[in-house]
Amino acid sequence: MKRSLMGRKVIIFLLIPALSLIFVFLILPGVWVLKIGMTNETLTGAKARNPDFVGFENYAKVLSDRFFYNALRITLLFVLGSAIIGQAGLGLSLALLTYRKRRLKSFVQSVVILAWIIPEVVVAYLWIAFLDKDYGTLNVLLSAIGLNKINWFYEYPLLTIIVFNVWRGTAYSMLLFSAALETIPPSYLETAEVIGASSWRKFKDVVFPNIKSYILTDLILITLWTFNVFTPYLLTGGGPSFRTELLSIYIYRTAFRYFKLGYGASIATIALLINFALAMFYLSLSRRRRA
Amino acid sequence: MRKWLVAVLVSIMVIIAVGQKVTIIANAIKGGKNTQVVDWFEKYIPDIEKELGITVELIQTGIKDEDFKARIVLDIKGGGGADILWIDGFWVPEFVEAGYLRPIDDILAEIPAWKYYYEPMKAMGSYKGKTYLIPAGTDVRMIYYNKELFRKAGIPVPWQPKSWEDIIKTARIIKEKLPGVIPIQLNAGTEMGEATTMQGFFMVLLGAGGNLYDWETGKWIVKSSALKDALNFYKQIYVDEKLGDAALQVSPGAREKTFELFRQEKIAMYVEGTWFYTSVLNPNNPSWGFPDRDERIGWAAMPGRGKPQDPEFVSISGGTGFAVNVNCKNPKLVAEVLKRLLYVEPQLSYFQMKPFVSPRSDLADSCWTVNKDKFIAETSRTLVKYTTFRPAFPVYPEISFQAQLLTERVVTGQMSVEKALEEFAKEVTKIVGKENVIEKP
Repeated sequence: MKRSLMGRKVIIFLLIPALSLIFVFLILPGVWVLKIGMTNETLTGAKARNPDFVGFENYAKVLSDRFFYNALRITLLFVLGSAIIGQAGLGLSLALLTYRKRRLKSFVQSVVILAWIIPEVVVAYLWIAFLDKDYGTLNVLLSAIGLNKINWFYEYPLLTIIVFNVWRGTAYSMLLFSAALETIPPSYLETAEVIGASSWRKFKDVVFPNIKSYILTDLILITLWTFNVFTPYLLTGGGPSFRTELLSIYIYRTAFRYFKLGYGASIATIALLINFALAMFYLSLSRRRRA
Repeated sequence: MRKWLVAVLVSIMVIIAVGQKVTIIANAIKGGKNTQVVDWFEKYIPDIEKELGITVELIQTGIKDEDFKARIVLDIKGGGGADILWIDGFWVPEFVEAGYLRPIDDILAEIPAWKYYYEPMKAMGSYKGKTYLIPAGTDVRMIYYNKELFRKAGIPVPWQPKSWEDIIKTARIIKEKLPGVIPIQLNAGTEMGEATTMQGFFMVLLGAGGNLYDWETGKWIVKSSALKDALNFYKQIYVDEKLGDAALQVSPGAREKTFELFRQEKIAMYVEGTWFYTSVLNPNNPSWGFPDRDERIGWAAMPGRGKPQDPEFVSISGGTGFAVNVNCKNPKLVAEVLKRLLYVEPQLSYFQMKPFVSPRSDLADSCWTVNKDKFIAETSRTLVKYTTFRPAFPVYPEISFQAQLLTERVVTGQMSVEKALEEFAKEVTKIVGKENVIEKP
C-alpha cells in the first residue's frame, strides 16, 4: 500500500470543510426530503401545521398515479432522445467532423458554446420567439416558402423540448469528445489510412476503442443532468395537457403549485433512486470494461 | 434637567418611528397586471407615511395568480412575508387552517368603515367564527362580445342569449361568416388554473342547475346530469363543432394568449368576470386595452341551459381583499394603515381607477356616480341577484383542479364525457373520502 505524504489526522482535518459542506447542502436536505416524503405535509390547509406521519403511503399512491407514469415515460423518452441520441450522438458527430480541421472546429465550437452559455431564461424566450405559432421566425420562414404554419408546442411538444435541449447541451459532449480525439496518437490513424481502411473501419477499430471511456463518462453525466433538467418548463410549462411534463416538472407542480409537499417529496425520492440506479448501471459497465 | 429628558425621549421615539415599516404585497405591477392598483397605492402611501411617520412599502409582483399564491405561502412558511396581503378571498380557509393568517377582529375594531360592509362580503372573509379578510371589491361574471364582429356577421346587437342553444347558434354564424375568428372562448383545462373553474366550468354547471358542492348535505357532488350536460356543452363547443380553440386553451400562457387574441378581435365571445372589462380591456391598459372599449365591447348575462327548471341567468362572484400575515410584528400600525386606506376618499378613488362592485353600502351609490361607470352599475344591478359563491373549503383547490382536468380531458379529446366523469368521481372520492361524496340525479 502506498503511504500518503501526510498523516491520517492531517487528511481528516483538511477534509472537514468539504465534508461539512457536503453534509449541510447534500445529505441534510436529502434526509429532510426523505422525512417529508413520509408525511402528508402540505403548504396550505390543516396539514401544513400538523402533518401526520404516513410511512410509505405516499409511495403506494405514487405507484397508482397516472401522472407519475406519464411523467416517467416522458422523462425516459426525453433522456433517450435528447441526451443519448441527441447530445452524445450529435456531440460525437461534430467532434469527428471537425477532427483535425482547426478552423472549422473553432467555428463550430464557438457556436455550440454560445448556446451553452446564454442564460436559460433568455434561451427559453428565444425559442418561444422562434417557434411561436403565429409570429415565430420558423413559421414565418415556412410560410414564406409556401408551407403551412405549424403549432410546434401543441403538435410536437416532446420533440420540441428534445431539440431544444440538444441545441442547448451539445457543447459539453462535443468539447469532451474533441479533447478525447486529441489523445489518439496520430500514427494510429495514419497507419489505417496507409492500408486503405474505410472511414467506418477507422472509427470502429481505432477511434472508438480509444475514446470508449470518455463516451461512458459523457453518458453518465449527460443522462443524469438530462434526467433532472427543469428548463423545458420555461418553454411549455409541462403542457399542453401534460405532454411535456418531465418528472422534475411533475414534482414541482405537485409540491409548489398544488402544495402537496409530502407527496412531492416522495416522488422526488423515487427520482433520486432512479438516478442512483442509472449511475450504478453505467458504473457497472465501466467496471466490466476494465475487467 | 426635564427639558433634557424630554429631548432624549423624543429622539428615541423618532428613531423607533423611522425604523418602523409596514409592507404590503399585491399581485400588481406598474405598467402591467393591475397597474391601477399600483397607481392607487402610490397616490395614498406618501400621505399615510407622513401622517404616521413610518415607511410603507408596496411589493409589486404581477405574475400568475397560482405563482403569486405559492410565493405568499412560501414567504409566510419561511417566517417572513409582507404584513398586509392583498389576496383572493377563496384562499382564506386553507390559509387559516395552515396558520398563515392573523385573525383581524381586533384590527377591525379600529376601522370605522367596517360597519358598512355587506354581510355576504364579510362572510367571504371569515372562517370558523373569526374574520381574516377585508374585502376590497367583488365581481360578477358574464359573456363579453365584440359588437364590431357581431355586426360584420350580421348578428343584431345588443345581444342577449336565452339558452345555451342561442349561444351555439350565434357561434355557428360567426364561424361561417368570419373565418379566422374564434367564435367563443370558454375557459377549459389546467393551464388556465382557477380561471377555468370560476369563469368557465362553474358558469356552465350552474346554468344546468348543478354545483360541485351540495350545500344541503355538505357533500361534494361526483355524479349528476348537470355535470354531464355541462361537459357535453364543452364538447359541443370544442370537439363536435370546433367553435372554440382547444389547442389554445391548453397551451402555455393560455390566459394571456386569449387576452391577446380578444384584443386583436380574433375572438367574438368571451366568458369572463368584471376584472376582464375594467382591467384587461381598460383603455389605459397598454397591452390589451381597447381605446373605444365602451362602444366596441358589449356584454350579456350568461343564460342557463334553457330547460324549464333551470336558472334563467347565472353568475358567480369572488373577490380579493386585505389579510394580515400571521408573522406581522406590529398589528397596531397595520390597523392604522388599513384604516386610512379604507377612508371614503381613497376608496372612491380606487373604484374610480378600477371600477368594481363595491363591498360597502356607504360607497355603493357614490362610486357609481363618481366614476359614472355605466358598466359596473348595470352589471351589478342585473347580475348580483343571480350570483353565487364558490364552496371555498380548504379542500376546494384540489376539487377545482379535478374540475379543470375534467374539462381538459374532454376538450382535447383525450377522453369521452363518460370516461372523464368516471375519473372525476374516482379522484374526488379519493380526495374527500367516500362518506363526503354524493350522487345526484
